[in-house]
Amino acid sequence: MIKVTMTVNGKLYTREIPPMMRLLDFIRDELKLKGTKEGCGEGECGACTVIIDGDIYNSCMVLATSCEGKRITTIEGISGAELHPIQEAFLEVNAVQCGYCTPGMILSAKALLDKNINATEKEMKEAISGNLCRCTGYQKIIEAVKLAQKKLKKR
Amino acid sequence: MKTVGKDIIRPDAYDKIIGKAIYPDDIEIEGMLYAGVKRTTIPYGRVLSINSEEIKKVPGVVAVIDYKMIPGAISHGVIFKDIPTLVKDVFKRVGDCLLLVVAKDKASLKIALDNVKVEYEEYKGVFTVEDALKEDAPILGDGSNILYDIKVKKGDIEKGFEEAAFIAENFYHTQMTEHVFLQPECAVSTIDDDGKINVYVATQYPHYDREEVAKCLDMNEEDIRIINTTIGGAFGGREDINPQCHAALATYITKRPVKVLYSREESVISHSKRHPMKLYYKTGVKDDGKLCALKVRIYGDTGAYASWGMNVLRKSAVHATGPYEIPNVDVRAQAIYTNNPYSGAMRGFGAAQVPLAHEAQMDILAEKLAMHPLQFRYLNAFKVGSVTATLQELKSSVGIKECMEKLAQIDNIQLDKDVRE
Repeated sequence: MIKVTMTVNGKLYTREIPPMMRLLDFIRDELKLKGTKEGCGEGECGACTVIIDGDIYNSCMVLATSCEGKRITTIEGISGAELHPIQEAFLEVNAVQCGYCTPGMILSAKALLDKNINATEKEMKEAISGNLCRCTGYQKIIEAVKLAQKKLKKR
Repeated sequence: MKTVGKDIIRPDAYDKIIGKAIYPDDIEIEGMLYAGVKRTTIPYGRVLSINSEEIKKVPGVVAVIDYKMIPGAISHGVIFKDIPTLVKDVFKRVGDCLLLVVAKDKASLKIALDNVKVEYEEYKGVFTVEDALKEDAPILGDGSNILYDIKVKKGDIEKGFEEAAFIAENFYHTQMTEHVFLQPECAVSTIDDDGKINVYVATQYPHYDREEVAKCLDMNEEDIRIINTTIGGAFGGREDINPQCHAALATYITKRPVKVLYSREESVISHSKRHPMKLYYKTGVKDDGKLCALKVRIYGDTGAYASWGMNVLRKSAVHATGPYEIPNVDVRAQAIYTNNPYSGAMRGFGAAQVPLAHEAQMDILAEKLAMHPLQFRYLNAFKVGSVTATLQELKSSVGIKECMEKLAQIDNIQLDKDVRE
């Protein structure tokens, strides 16, 4: 067992974990945050996307012990009492179907817009290119990211 | 009329965007065990032996369950009950379930399943519809490899082709397709104090599931509850039983809550596929551009088990003409067993394969007629009053011509003028 300390959604956690534990399992099984999904377990689908120090990662491909001292954001960490504008936008343009890809999509969009509020449509498409949606809802998802961009600029 | 015609926010969306929607794998229960199955790794054969006794000794293993321990039905299926819940002796595809192992945690379960050793007697299988129809082919179905055979006839096909100025005759193939719904199969089962079984699962058919679980456990349907969780995509792939009976059986035997969770690989191996089809199309058109005859033969590879094979091929036959009026039609569609993964429901349900053929035929004939392909389609498209190949009169809501008119506007095509170029 290895001791690891990281900040998840603004809260500091210290846990003793097996050295081979994936960040995905750390989040889901240790912290009981079930919003991060497993779709493939091999870094293809993006359902397990989280933000680590500002960049997106497939948490199924990251060892939890490698996140010592890092700041992780999951879907549970992006809104407080009110929804994040990206979440609002996903609701308003109906960019949610089965919902399994949604947390990852929202986090990929957030990482992009946090870095570049003037992102182009092409950049938006690139930003979510690692997130698969099998309900084929990409058009609505891009519409949602554009709407979120407008909302964030107004703030 | 609070909602009709208005944009509304779907009620399930809120939980999904905040990460609080509950899919089966998000359910955790105190004292929950983990179960999984060892699956066949060859497509056709008989089980000679399995090292079940050794697996019972793997640390963390709570129960090892074979077909003999199933209290009720040992197979399931939406129409025909031919898919083994656990194989008795003969199996017909890669991915059939041999042994159900229950363990105290995921890690012990994986070690146990990795250590299951199976001795097979391998049979020579069939993997194409052509081979399955040969006289010496092994019989996979009930006395035949033809699960289903439907004919749709209208008018006089011979006369129809005699009237034809042009004929297009071609073979088309479609491929097997996998749903890849994003949430792999998972079920969690629990048992009440009075012995009733609850199964939490993402399913397209909770009522069918209840019947299958009840039959498997030899219990009354009233004592089985299927609770549909949020469903992470399905597209037809969650119409057949997958983890439901295994989870319920493991709970029935251990009296403990049990989770069955598939990996992506197991998900792909286990559930149904879109029927690969071989389609023969012969389409005749008169000099004036009106379709006059269509002969179609469709061979659907239905794989090892029936699932919805009959219904899918029926739909292909019914939709074989496409949305076009054809006075003389002769269609025959067959669902044929092979040792491939079983085919079943997938978005479109047999109506998705035939357009490749009927629309390619339309393009080929338009070229022969020197007509614009959209004009040619418009000339032959269904309208109110059209009679389909199954002799159904379309009495209302036939929108295809209107769609074509909109398309024509975009591309500035004159649909109603003399259509010859």
